[in-house]
Amino acid sequence: MELQLGLPLPTHNFIENFDLNNDGFDPKDDMVGLKPWNCEDGYLGNKRSFEVAFGKNIKGGSQELPLLSWSGQPNDEDDWKGEKKISCSINMNDEEENQVVGWPPIKSWRKKMLHHQHQGVHVVNRNYRMVTGNQENGAGSNTRYVKVKMEGVAITRKIDLRHYNSYLTLTNSLISKFAKCENLEKDAAHFTLTYQNRDGDWLIAGDVPWQTFTESVQRLEIVRNAG
Amino acid sequence: MGPNPKMRKEFFDSTRSSPFPDEVLERVLSLLKSHKDRSAVSLVCKDWYNAESWSRAHVFIGNCYSVSPEIVARRFPRVKSVTLKGKPRFSDFNLVPENWGADVHPWLVVFAAKYPFLEELRLKRMAVSDESLEFLAINFPNFKVLSLLSCDGFSTDGLAAIATHCKNLTQLDIQENGIDDKSGSWLSCFPENFTSLEVLNFANLNTDVNFDALERLVSRCKSLKVLKASKSISLEHLQRLLVCAPQLIELGTGSLMPELTACQYAQLENAFSQLKNLSTLSGLWEASAPYLPLLYPACTNLTFLNLSYAFLQSHELESLLCQCPHLRRLWVLDTVGDKGLEAVGSNCPLLEELRVFPADPFDEEVVHGVTEAGFLAVSYGCRRLHYVLYFCRQMTNAAVATIVQNCPDFTHFRLCIMNPGQPDYLTNEPMDEAFGAVVRTCTKLQRLSVSGLLTDLTFEYIGQYAKNLETLSVAFAGSSDRGMQCMLEGCPKLRKLEIRDCPFGNAALLSGLEKYESMRSLWMSACNVTMNGCRLLAREMPRLNVEVMKDDGSDDSQADKVYVYRSVVGPRRDAPPCKWMKQAAVMGHQRIKIHPTMNCHPGPMHPVKVLQKQEAPGHLTCSNLLSSIIRFPISSSYVHELANNGVCLLTCLNDAYILGMAKDLKRESSGAIQTCEHGGGPVVPVLSPTRLLVVPTMKFKPEIGLRSGRTGLRWAGFSKLRNIFVVNAWEHCVSRT
Repeated sequence: MELQLGLPLPTHNFIENFDLNNDGFDPKDDMVGLKPWNCEDGYLGNKRSFEVAFGKNIKGGSQELPLLSWSGQPNDEDDWKGEKKISCSINMNDEEENQVVGWPPIKSWRKKMLHHQHQGVHVVNRNYRMVTGNQENGAGSNTRYVKVKMEGVAITRKIDLRHYNSYLTLTNSLISKFAKCENLEKDAAHFTLTYQNRDGDWLIAGDVPWQTFTESVQRLEIVRNAG
Repeated sequence: MGPNPKMRKEFFDSTRSSPFPDEVLERVLSLLKSHKDRSAVSLVCKDWYNAESWSRAHVFIGNCYSVSPEIVARRFPRVKSVTLKGKPRFSDFNLVPENWGADVHPWLVVFAAKYPFLEELRLKRMAVSDESLEFLAINFPNFKVLSLLSCDGFSTDGLAAIATHCKNLTQLDIQENGIDDKSGSWLSCFPENFTSLEVLNFANLNTDVNFDALERLVSRCKSLKVLKASKSISLEHLQRLLVCAPQLIELGTGSLMPELTACQYAQLENAFSQLKNLSTLSGLWEASAPYLPLLYPACTNLTFLNLSYAFLQSHELESLLCQCPHLRRLWVLDTVGDKGLEAVGSNCPLLEELRVFPADPFDEEVVHGVTEAGFLAVSYGCRRLHYVLYFCRQMTNAAVATIVQNCPDFTHFRLCIMNPGQPDYLTNEPMDEAFGAVVRTCTKLQRLSVSGLLTDLTFEYIGQYAKNLETLSVAFAGSSDRGMQCMLEGCPKLRKLEIRDCPFGNAALLSGLEKYESMRSLWMSACNVTMNGCRLLAREMPRLNVEVMKDDGSDDSQADKVYVYRSVVGPRRDAPPCKWMKQAAVMGHQRIKIHPTMNCHPGPMHPVKVLQKQEAPGHLTCSNLLSSIIRFPISSSYVHELANNGVCLLTCLNDAYILGMAKDLKRESSGAIQTCEHGGGPVVPVLSPTRLLVVPTMKFKPEIGLRSGRTGLRWAGFSKLRNIFVVNAWEHCVSRT
């Protein structure tokens, strides 16, 4: 691992010049400032304690835990390690999985097997039930999970398309779900639903028949209307 | 008879107290199988200790670092079978850093010398390399049984070596390992005249094996009782295998993906019906409804059904369960739902063990799975239930109380409410009363995993009532140090305590000082323990090893992960280097390469080799180099020896030796290593080396080591420095004088 710094090294009079304390470098500051190997932007020092991360829940509410709303379902870009530390959610990369390391306590091997199984199940189901060719099919044969992201919202959710039978129900449900958690307006007119199809293209939802849509959609994104 | 009967006789005669010869005593004691009984027996008197030692054929080592292979071999000279466990259990959940240790190789080296007739080796959570597997295969001519569970570090090449060389192999059991699955050709390495196999479990693997080779193997091994195939084995293949081996007692199918013609279906149905003796059925990857009835004829005598990779619905499970009247152990996925569990309750009156795994553990949005209702239903129908592992998203205190009323014989109660810190969803109260009920009612409880919102009250209950508890797992629970103190003060039989993400700090850690020596291990991660607390513990309890694993970027004083275990051999020398070393080198250096691991197989690293970068050592071996270095101060003869190998001792710091290659050192340039304790200290001109080797001693304290400023090295003028090699530096808190 190469570590690069722009610090000029004194090559003379080493004893005084290279006293890091004298140079005004506090070792601790250095580490926080430079951090070439620490890729979590916005990481604020100590690992977040449990209370801070899960504070909402501790108070006894049945409130959804925002940090754990990401599924372990495979996506092309996702790293299927499935575990990252709890981190400040504001800075979290969309593609990272907001999960507690090693929780729930499922052995790595079992997780891998379930992951492969998810991909296999849809092949089985192709013959016996009406299912799309999407790689991201969920557990069991009656589900069709896709990730949904709302522009400006850090947390991505997952929904089961089987629960909806039209664009209208889908859009309304999505917007109300997001709005509820984000205290935004529920007015659908302000948002547009877009989706990524199997070819990787982003399209506006609503142009193709519902059935075709459910078969080709990979993921969804809700964008705000300009103006 | 041992190898030196005369000597033994003389020794024993002088201390004889029993009225019959040792051989008789040994014969009697050899009938004892349980290692706990044997340990008790060995404490009776010296004769019994010796007789037990000579007659012990199987040794169980629960923590590979608690003892050394030399000590084991010295005490038990005639061992044929070894079980060895390595990493802490939380390594299963990625909480333990890579390269943590638990390398089996040093054990194998000793066994090759002392137990050349070793027959069985069972490893759990050990680091196993292909070289080790090959070494095993070649050096033990009588080797029969190999079981690898949750191990890692090897590939299918290692399996090929086993298959090729172990002529007497009866069991090859590969489960849940981190294998580098390169190819399936290992299976073809069993020689054509090899027929002794009784157990073959390769369900762990994915790559295709040569099916013809497998079929031939199965046909010629007439004693084959257990066959657990991998997913790559299709239904068609399965049918052919079953035809060859109707005597199977345990079967793991391959993929049940549908692809059969009607005729093939009938053939397979027939093959299953020939399995009269089947007691265990597993595998069932990609099981789908139309193919489940295939299994029915084989289910009559089933006692263990593992459906944990089959995404079944409730009605599918029910139909299957109707066929298994003698079921004692059942593993399922939560796709079967509460309704499926009701079917379990109705159809499995003899059930003793139930494990329900989550199909979608990381998905908060998803609402399916099982609830308290399912668990309740099972408890009403299966009164003999004593082992449960249950993953759910909601639970209530009342339900758990009822469940243990119905099934008071629980020995293993592992409840995982998947949302951390979640209360009783009906009353919004903590789940304290649930686990209180468990420990009060289930007096035989040996293993407990708690979850949900829990206060210290839970641990008061546990400490007060759980008199037989041996293993306890705690996560996201407790309110204060008192919680952990209750656990440590109560629970007289506690052996393994694992804690993560709980508000327990130094006071709690230190309240168990006396307790830890009677336990196998303690794990605490993401709690409030500090380095000082660990240091104190290590100082007070010299027979405990206290290991701290720090996370990247964490505060210096926090002990992120602590692993404490008793050991008769003191701190280990193969721990991975500490991460902060990277930070230290950054201070004022450009382009320094840090080499984070120094372990090279088969043994600990060789510093001279590293520095020379190529050749074999000469007469200096790493172990004697390290061991003498650790005996501070380094002797002059060693300096001499080092010099003979071109290694120059540059300086002895308070806590580390700095070695370099003599030829690296050019006289004309500047540069220095200065030891400093708050400034000042001897300056040793070092002369612009490109590589340095740092060998820490026992006094090496990470936070005042090479970091800069306070003590240790000041790196000055090392503009050419490119490589710093660190030998076995670790965050070790044991301090010895």
